Amino acid sequence: MPKRKDINRILLIGSGPIIIGQACEFDYSGSQACKALREEGYKVILINSNPATIMTDPEMADITYIEPLIPEVVAGIIKKEKPDALLPTMGGQTALNLTVKLSQMGVLTKYKVHLIGANINAIKKAEDRQLFKSAMIDIGLNVPKSGVAYTLEESLKISSEIGFPIILRPSFTLGGTGGAIVYNIDELKESISKAFDLSLNHEILLEQSVIGWKEFELEVMRDKKDNVVIICSIENFDPMGIHTGDSITVAPAQTLTDKEYQNMRDAAIKIIREVGVETGGSNIQFAINPQNGEMVVIEMNPRVSRSSALASKATGFPIAKIAAKLAIGYTLDEIPNDITKKTPACFEPTIDYCVVKIPKFNFEKFPKSKPCLNTSMKSVGEIMSIGRTFKEALQKGIRSLESGYCGLEEKKLNMELESGLKNPIPERLFYIREAFKKGYSINKIYQITFIDPWFLYNLKEIFDTEIEIQKYKNSEIPMELFKKAKEYGFSDKHIAKILGQKEENIYNLRKKYNIKVEYKMVDTCAGEFEAQTPYYYSTYEQNSIIEETK
Amino acid sequence: MAKKSVVILGGGPNRIGQGIEFDYCCVHASMALKEEDYESIMVNCNPETVSTDYDTSTRLYFEPLTIEDVFNIIEYENPLGIIVQFGGQTPLNLAIPLQNRGVKILGTSPDAIDIAEDRERFRVLINKLNIKQSPSGTAISLEQAVTIAQRIGYPVLVRPSYVLGGRAMEIVYDDSGLKEFMEKAIEISEEKPILIDKFLEDAIEIDVDAVCDGKTCIIGGLMEHIEEAGIHSGDSAMVLPAYSLASNIIKEIKEITRKISLTLEVKGLINIQFAVKNKDIYIIEVNPRASRTIPFISKSIGVPLAKLATKIMIGKTLKDLHFTREIIPKYFCVKESVFPFNRFPGVDVILGPEMKSTGEVMGIDTSFEMAYAKSQLAAGQNLPFSGKIFISVKDKDKPVIYSIASQFQKIGFEILTSSGTGQFLKKKGMDVVIIPKIYEGRPNIVDYIKNNEISLIINTPSGKKPRKDIVSIRTIAVERGISLVTTIPGAKATLLAIKKLKEEKVKIKSLQQYYKI
Repeated sequence: MPKRKDINRILLIGSGPIIIGQACEFDYSGSQACKALREEGYKVILINSNPATIMTDPEMADITYIEPLIPEVVAGIIKKEKPDALLPTMGGQTALNLTVKLSQMGVLTKYKVHLIGANINAIKKAEDRQLFKSAMIDIGLNVPKSGVAYTLEESLKISSEIGFPIILRPSFTLGGTGGAIVYNIDELKESISKAFDLSLNHEILLEQSVIGWKEFELEVMRDKKDNVVIICSIENFDPMGIHTGDSITVAPAQTLTDKEYQNMRDAAIKIIREVGVETGGSNIQFAINPQNGEMVVIEMNPRVSRSSALASKATGFPIAKIAAKLAIGYTLDEIPNDITKKTPACFEPTIDYCVVKIPKFNFEKFPKSKPCLNTSMKSVGEIMSIGRTFKEALQKGIRSLESGYCGLEEKKLNMELESGLKNPIPERLFYIREAFKKGYSINKIYQITFIDPWFLYNLKEIFDTEIEIQKYKNSEIPMELFKKAKEYGFSDKHIAKILGQKEENIYNLRKKYNIKVEYKMVDTCAGEFEAQTPYYYSTYEQNSIIEETK
Repeated sequence: MAKKSVVILGGGPNRIGQGIEFDYCCVHASMALKEEDYESIMVNCNPETVSTDYDTSTRLYFEPLTIEDVFNIIEYENPLGIIVQFGGQTPLNLAIPLQNRGVKILGTSPDAIDIAEDRERFRVLINKLNIKQSPSGTAISLEQAVTIAQRIGYPVLVRPSYVLGGRAMEIVYDDSGLKEFMEKAIEISEEKPILIDKFLEDAIEIDVDAVCDGKTCIIGGLMEHIEEAGIHSGDSAMVLPAYSLASNIIKEIKEITRKISLTLEVKGLINIQFAVKNKDIYIIEVNPRASRTIPFISKSIGVPLAKLATKIMIGKTLKDLHFTREIIPKYFCVKESVFPFNRFPGVDVILGPEMKSTGEVMGIDTSFEMAYAKSQLAAGQNLPFSGKIFISVKDKDKPVIYSIASQFQKIGFEILTSSGTGQFLKKKGMDVVIIPKIYEGRPNIVDYIKNNEISLIINTPSGKKPRKDIVSIRTIAVERGISLVTTIPGAKATLLAIKKLKEEKVKIKSLQQYYKI
């Protein structure tokens, strides 16, 4: 299908200042969208109030406004610039909320601005809890038991129907602001007024708690011919109860059976169709009961999101760029994949490595705040690391954080071991390591944390390797063990610390043993096609294929 | 033959103090290298960024920014050199160890960076150049600290020497405050002493960014802070060009900037912070690298400074790049910071020497007042046109608040005050309503806030440890989304902005149009 010729000028709304829950991932998506649209000959009018972005560079868009992202100002720009279309899905929740406001004000109708990428109905269906829930029930999917309340009385009534614990989620907020878990009526009463305040439409959802369930996300894209592809599956290391932005996440999903994964895929495809995101990407979150495999749908973002930025980087598939091309009428089979140049965008990416994302926190800047994680996002940044195995990626990830750790190493604990395990805190990984040291079994740790035993087993393997290395404090660590440690993601510095040596010595030993790091490609296709613009990650496993393409 | 390649070290995970601004600079470095027909090799591990997009650089390594991981890449790629100036503190920390392993650092030498970061070497430099610095000392015991503080005079700025980015930095006003700080501070030793600087109260703070090729130095921009010195530069609002400084002061500051840049033989970017008090210019710090304000200035003047700096690092001169004269815009650009206080309920929202903001916005207009108004609207601060303003300020601010309060009254606001501020204003002949603070009876200020009767709060902290009830007024205001101003200069600017917004409508103009002015 050719691109749309009835539109020429496209307004793109950015996400404004960096705040917790909405960071520079939207600079990445907005910049990609600008490039993709201009490549096709459209004129791009951009508004964003954040000067520290690449997208507001004067050469990125045809016309750039650094003005406040408030409805009156955007309406003024529409009046002045007369765009034919508005692409609202690249600027996070800010852009979606503004678009809904502009539509309510009648500005879009008055100036005949088409919404592309997502229409108002799809946005509302995905964002309005009640509409979303009934849509899910219509297509035979389960959602946590819930009810919408506008008053305290209504919330009390609903709580008696659902039973505690209950999650409170205000509608139309950022990154789960004001979300809370309450365990009794008093706590409910305490939290509810704040939740009402934070919701743009004074509405909150009371939801059956699925705390402790496994959490997954799928990144899905659809075109106007109704083709749907799954770009990436993401599994949360931390179970339900922690905002996904604050969770350690892993791609692809590691602990699903094929049957469970296929069910989730089928559900995701049904959901994007039912909600009616005609062109573009969505992020859909699921929870699975570890006891019986029961699956429930948690939520959907009908736009480019933090997770889709991660999925893009994890797979090499440029979700924002493709979403922009779909919005102007192309179909997935017509858009070439930039990395291979040969395959079209309807080829689902294949991953032959493991990706780990770890959030970065800044609690020390706010001395009176408790470093405890819940459904309201607190992290200020994140890192992504890639390895051949979860172990390698995780340890690379830990040292990427620049939080003073060079791997899953010994740490002075600030609280009791059990409470560090029980309460989701940023440094829980190190409490798990300590639990191994104290002789806790994987099952016992699982009973406290609800972190899937597969992940715990991998952490245990890292810990066991540390213990093995320790034996060589007074002699040279043998080559086989050294190799294994590097494959498990141990840094030279970490090994040096365990042995009480200098990092330099370990580096020299690595050279002596001729243990070489190798670079592998992120190419969307696991080496099936030749990659034109791949990027690389290091590993200590197998042979390198970078030489051929360099 | 293979093209020459350069490795750019990115900024790693975003955190308060090191965010998107540095990613912006790294992306520009990559663009500049490609323009000059070099291969750009990016190393970064932050998935949220443009620098880790697949088509930003010739090659991207999604890797941790540690000595081991970066050096592995360098051994593998064998680049011409590496750029450490753009990714914030992360790559700077790697500069010396990498240089010790034989890696070539492009641009300003690590030695020059060390001069700027080492207190003693820095003191020697500025003495040589005859520049003023506020008196200071280092201490490893409370006795020493007290002696120094009494010698240079309170208030003093204290901080541990081993942390960066204003971590754990505090302003203390007396011996007991100092004692409290020293007790809290961990790990004081010969190697890690406590740094004590005389705090310049009520000084105007200035940030200057410049680009230098070792022989010529051109000012990128001089920004005047709205808030007084003592508030972290990453948290202050700033305006470019300066709106209140005398022209001879501006001239002198620029001259000092050039002198330092040329003495350090900077090749690339440099940022210098100054404080001006009683017409004296003091230097606060020198950072020979890309600062947080580079994107803001670049957008303000329409020149991509990070790109120019990159090209200088690979051998170009400013003359080659046709950037030989400072550009002073004929409009005002205001940068305002955005804070995450709503995520940390109960935490006091007062600004200080430790940075707390996560992001920034920019307001541009032909008048300062409107540019400031736009920056506030963009930052999510409501600017009310009428209603009740609650004012409670410390004693020192009372004389100044009189004129601000009476002007607010003149444009139709009702003034509510705490008892101290109210009595002062009443004596001056103003008609104000005194309302109780939290423990002083009811209905008190919190009741007023909760009943949506307050449209703006002006509350300056007393400097010493704030009282719990006053902290909760501020935190409740933030939770309720009520505009809160905690500094006198901020209150003045807010007044000007509201006046302006009442007089005229917000006008919009594209960047491309501004550049043509």
